Amino acid sequence: MTDFDAIVVGSGMSGGWSAKELCERGLKVLVLERGPEIKPERDYVDQLPPWEQKNLDRISQEEIDKHYFKQYPGVAYAVKESNKHFWVKDDEHPYETVKGTSYDWLRGYHTAGRSIMWSRQSYRMGPQDFTANKEEGIAIDWPVRYDEIKPWYDYVEQFVGVAGNRDGLPQLPDGVYQPGFELTDAEKFFKAKVESKFSGRNVIQARVAHLTDATDEQRELGRTNCQARNRCHFGCAFKAYFSSLHATLPAAERTGNMTIVHNAIVQTLEYDAETKKVTGVRIVDADTNEHRFYSSKVVFLNASAIASAMILLQSKSETFPDGLANSSDQVGRNLMDHVSGAGANGFISGFENQKVFGRRPGGIYIPRYANITEKDKPYTRGFGYQGSASPLGNAGGQIAGIGREFKEAHKSPGPWRISIGAFGEQLPNPNNRVTLHPNKTDKWGNPVALFDVNYGKNEHIMLEEARKDAVAMLESAGCTDINSNPVNLTVPGNRIHEMGSARMGSDPNNSVLNKWCQAHDVPNLFLTDGAFMTSAACQNPSISYMAFTARACDHAVKLMQEKVI
Amino acid sequence: MKTRREILQGLIVSIGGGSLLNSCGGIAKVALPSEDAAQFYNEEETAWVARISDFIIPRTETPGALDVNVPRFLDGLMAEWANSETQENHRRGIKKIQNQLGKGYLTLSEEGARDLLEDLDKSAFEGRPSEYSEYRSLKSLITQAYFASEDGALLERKWVAVPGRWDPRVEI
Repeated sequence: MTDFDAIVVGSGMSGGWSAKELCERGLKVLVLERGPEIKPERDYVDQLPPWEQKNLDRISQEEIDKHYFKQYPGVAYAVKESNKHFWVKDDEHPYETVKGTSYDWLRGYHTAGRSIMWSRQSYRMGPQDFTANKEEGIAIDWPVRYDEIKPWYDYVEQFVGVAGNRDGLPQLPDGVYQPGFELTDAEKFFKAKVESKFSGRNVIQARVAHLTDATDEQRELGRTNCQARNRCHFGCAFKAYFSSLHATLPAAERTGNMTIVHNAIVQTLEYDAETKKVTGVRIVDADTNEHRFYSSKVVFLNASAIASAMILLQSKSETFPDGLANSSDQVGRNLMDHVSGAGANGFISGFENQKVFGRRPGGIYIPRYANITEKDKPYTRGFGYQGSASPLGNAGGQIAGIGREFKEAHKSPGPWRISIGAFGEQLPNPNNRVTLHPNKTDKWGNPVALFDVNYGKNEHIMLEEARKDAVAMLESAGCTDINSNPVNLTVPGNRIHEMGSARMGSDPNNSVLNKWCQAHDVPNLFLTDGAFMTSAACQNPSISYMAFTARACDHAVKLMQEKVI
Repeated sequence: MKTRREILQGLIVSIGGGSLLNSCGGIAKVALPSEDAAQFYNEEETAWVARISDFIIPRTETPGALDVNVPRFLDGLMAEWANSETQENHRRGIKKIQNQLGKGYLTLSEEGARDLLEDLDKSAFEGRPSEYSEYRSLKSLITQAYFASEDGALLERKWVAVPGRWDPRVEI
């Protein structure tokens, strides 16, 4: 008899889905969260008006140097004085990088993890993303094709609530959408110019995980429509954007099947060589340092790609001296992120008699065209751009003049500026990896992560081209004062899309998971965070993690019912 | 509403500038709560920041920078947010602006002082030369502080806490 039917490690983006799907199928589920509990009514600060924000909501410089020396430079746009409790303190959660490399590991340890602070862009992977590795002979083939995952995208989007437009683009398949956030006239003008000048390029509405026409199911969970406040990085009293805390965890909770334990840092999984299964997890309590063991019939790792790989690497046994489920030696390898650092901005004229009302959560998206509709590229794969065209405003005070005129100039929306930035695909490379540091440990005695990640030639060439393309598209719309900084690739990890550390594949010799996110070596072990990704595509990945998680849970429960696991 | 003059007095006195005010006009002290005590600026700096803030964002039909106590806000920002390097830079910046505006600036007539600042502002934004970066930086802080205040946000900027909808096209 086990303590629980299933243990889910992590309560974030994918862990919330594991909890919901397994609980709704009748399993008794234990969710282990390494951080403290977040309660919206206590911990959200989205309703704090500007005049109640201390020091322009800036964290003191000394405090940044002491506690947020990685998190703040990495995510300065979102890490503020009022919401700093959503981000880890770097001195308490250290990691290391191999000499000559750098890595941004940007984290939130608490209920719902980074699903509280994410930027909510939700794009499906397209058919080409599942076949590219095979066609190009890069890494290994995905064991899944788009058609197999499509119904699961439908399933999760229906529950999540994604605002967007059905644009009919084969490389960025349409999903189940609530009404999108209409483009500004300047964006529509830009769209028309770009699409006529560059056949095969498209400018579409960002697709974001915000409710705009909440379903009965979403309302039952206490969620309401987006109020266009753009305070999402501070939580949302309306629960209008998707997070585990707003949607999946409450759905799991209401089944009566979920137990959630906070401050439980998983150290190892226990493996039984006779049954060839995991029997449970060993944790250390972050507050009391107490060690505990929980047993279960099945384990889902949803600790995030890096942490899940590290848990496997820490779980050494006679059968698996190099880490659990690691007979392929692929655990921790092929670590990928998306790469940015190329783009352009400029002024777009003709809209001076307009302003906007409300603060929408997303602007425009330019789906990947490179090596899809345009084939003549000096690089493989491609990138999408995120951006917007909106009034610049003057509230920063960086215009000439003093007195009444200066003061009143701030009532004007100011010139309209358009800005686009690329998110590019990083190719899988087995040498890009996270390992356990040989001798450094954190305050609970767990080995710290050691990163060794470098971008390859393809990423460098691609981003140079992305910069040129961005300038050309702005020029096509007659933009002026176009500003495009020299390409400066983001630090690996900075896009917070880490993935690939336990890739799926058909061959147990070169992959960790099968097509169901199930470990080849250990049939009752599933990894459904970003670890399973065989390649990165260039789309923001959360919605894909959700779809694969729901599919894996369905499969796992069937195997349990059939007594296969 | 207090007169602008009263606010300026109260503000400067509240952070220890009483003697300065007395020396340049013999104005009576105005007591403010002790939690408003100076944390970073000395009395001279306070007087300068107050005068510049007042010219940059004066009281019009809506409150101005002094009404919402921008100098005190910046004082707190420098004391609580800034590290020692930023503090030193800020202090040096004020000194530079003092040199650019001239020693007798605080005792100049209202009109003369405003004209001088207007000239400085012009020089600072025509081609944005680096020798005026300290002024641009102070102006930016003053403006940000003003619009982060309740009056600045609600009355002047018409900030709406809960728009409730997105309208991409509002004709003006």
